[in-house]
Amino acid sequence: MIGKSPNLGLPRKVVACYLLFCLIAICWLALGVWFTSHSVLNSHSVNSCLARLGKTASAIEISYLRHGKQDFAKLLEQAKAEGRFAYCSIAGPDGTYWAHTNAQMQGEPVVEPTGCLLRWGSVTGIRFTDNVGQSLGEYQVPLTASTEPIGTLRIAVIEPNVWNTFGEVARHSPLTILIPLALVGLGAVMISRLTSSVADIDSQLRKIAELPPGTEVSLAPLPATDAATLGWNHLASSLKDLRNHSTSPGLDDRLTKAVASRKQSELAEILHNLSDGIAVTDPEGRITFANRAIAALLGTEAEEGGLEGADLADCFTRDLPELSHCTLFDPSMANRPVVSEVQRGSEQAERVLRVARQPLQDATLKGQVWSLRDVTQQKLADKMREQFIDTATHELRTPLSNIKAYAEMLATCDTIEVEQQKEFCNTINSEVTRLARFVDDLLSISSMEVGSISAERQKVETSRLFEEVLSKVQPLMQQKDLDFEVHLPEKMQELQLDKDKIVAVLVNLLGNAAKYTPTGGHVALKVNLDESKLHIAVEDSGVGISSEELPMVFEKFFRSSDERVQAESGTGLGLSLAREVVRMHGGDILVESTLNQGSNFLVTIPLE
Amino acid sequence: MSENTKKALVVDDNVALARVIQFALDGAGFDTQTAPNGRQAFELASETQFDLVVTDQQMPEMTGLELCRKLRAQSNYADCPIILLTAKGLELELPQLQKELGIDATFPKPFSPSALVKTVNELTSAAVS
Repeated sequence: MIGKSPNLGLPRKVVACYLLFCLIAICWLALGVWFTSHSVLNSHSVNSCLARLGKTASAIEISYLRHGKQDFAKLLEQAKAEGRFAYCSIAGPDGTYWAHTNAQMQGEPVVEPTGCLLRWGSVTGIRFTDNVGQSLGEYQVPLTASTEPIGTLRIAVIEPNVWNTFGEVARHSPLTILIPLALVGLGAVMISRLTSSVADIDSQLRKIAELPPGTEVSLAPLPATDAATLGWNHLASSLKDLRNHSTSPGLDDRLTKAVASRKQSELAEILHNLSDGIAVTDPEGRITFANRAIAALLGTEAEEGGLEGADLADCFTRDLPELSHCTLFDPSMANRPVVSEVQRGSEQAERVLRVARQPLQDATLKGQVWSLRDVTQQKLADKMREQFIDTATHELRTPLSNIKAYAEMLATCDTIEVEQQKEFCNTINSEVTRLARFVDDLLSISSMEVGSISAERQKVETSRLFEEVLSKVQPLMQQKDLDFEVHLPEKMQELQLDKDKIVAVLVNLLGNAAKYTPTGGHVALKVNLDESKLHIAVEDSGVGISSEELPMVFEKFFRSSDERVQAESGTGLGLSLAREVVRMHGGDILVESTLNQGSNFLVTIPLE
Repeated sequence: MSENTKKALVVDDNVALARVIQFALDGAGFDTQTAPNGRQAFELASETQFDLVVTDQQMPEMTGLELCRKLRAQSNYADCPIILLTAKGLELELPQLQKELGIDATFPKPFSPSALVKTVNELTSAAVS
């Protein structure tokens, strides 16, 4: 019943329970005390009554012997007063009261009460209830005076009843009841106080229990008095924090935003790391996003994000005002994608930018996406490729024209002398050789590109190697009457080299020197051998190479735009091949040159 | 060589080709001289009156077209037949120039010397007549 009562708090239930059990215990105890007291009082009244009966009987017998009946009334009154009896009487042998503490009964016939009869020797006791409902015990003892019976002494005592016993107990031992009661009360107070925090918690929980499901729950903090309230306060604040966090912008929203912003920053990072310049402009042409590459491509030293807000057209046209007429910036073309190539920078370091503009639009124009790519290298490669095609067609066509012309002359002309026929055949032969060499060069270059060619190092007699080179280049030098200076080390040793390829490199370098040095000029071959490397220098006093073209001389198909170089035939492959061969040997080739003064090619090959 | 032997000038930086054309024209009855470039050719043409000029287009120092222009500027070369040797792929702009400069024929390389001689014969006989 206690456990199910919904209206009482847990601590009150505890107190109620405690009080209930205490009450039962006290009642039980009180009943015991009462029962014991009742028994004690009962026997005490019987005992005292019997003692008084004996004593009074003796006194009456002595008085009767001395003074007759005259002192009976006095003795009875005395006994009644001392024994606090209901009444005392002496019944004579004639069946009347000789004396009675109730004066009206004097001389009246003896009333024999009816009830429970008790007997102790000559003493007889009767327990009875009188006419007013009082429980009385009347004890009689016969009176004798020297063997003469003179009647019976009757003393009636009020038997102790329930109330009397209570009265007696209360009179004799009030503390025995009050102290336990006080202790019980104290215990209840103590329990109540000890469980007060639990009572507060309990009351809040009971309120929560009454709320409909789904209602927001709040916990009120309590004065911190013990571990339970501290824990409760902690719980309350946690719940509050949780609600604050979960209610402010919504946990899901915040998560979605966090994920979105992470994705966005990843995308921005990707855009920033592109080599192409990317920019987005609003419909007014102001930059809303620009990646890192675009600043470098535009030549502005802006930091990241520094371009934002700037006008993109301004960035372009700052250096090149004529660009403002370009279709890229033509407002009437804003709805169409445009790709254009723009040249920027100084003449020495001119760069070509390919600019693509793509409008961003749904119903209205929202802006433009710009992508910029530096196509300078591509343009250069295109130029070199065109140059190569020119060169290659020239290199192919010239020997082919000659072969065709000579062959046809041989075939159709009947009047050619034998000597002339031989000369014609030799010309055809040398033209075929020239064609074959060109094809070989092309094959070598393409093989080197795919890495399928390698240096076949063999022991080479160095002096032989240079002899071969000199035998090939001497005629060229003589043809142009060049001052050809040769420095070879005095002591030549055997070296591990791919002889044919090294010879080809040196013939190419010396051939170039001869080709691009005006008649009567100076060419030198200087060879040095130290402990670890072979150094070969090819110097000339020729046309030289401009500083702009110098970094490109080893590129495939590159040919100088200098007219004096263009006047000579060449494939643009020789130096590229030379560098590949030298690198195959683990060495390197460098060039120093001054325009109109001459060039100096330096080859270094480590000895194995 | 008799005095009325026609004189031809062959201009080409490709010496071997110039030689074979010279041989072919000599065979056709011309007195042929060669020059390796436009500049030297112009110098020669100033010294000697040629009846026919065969020139390569692509040459160092002075191209064939420049040579034509300079020769046509001279009154004595206003009617001289000029044959231009071109390279395939470079002849596109020529019809216009051909008309402008009065180039009588073009031969893209590689060409047949006998065809050249045939054309030369046609041109020179037409000039005579």
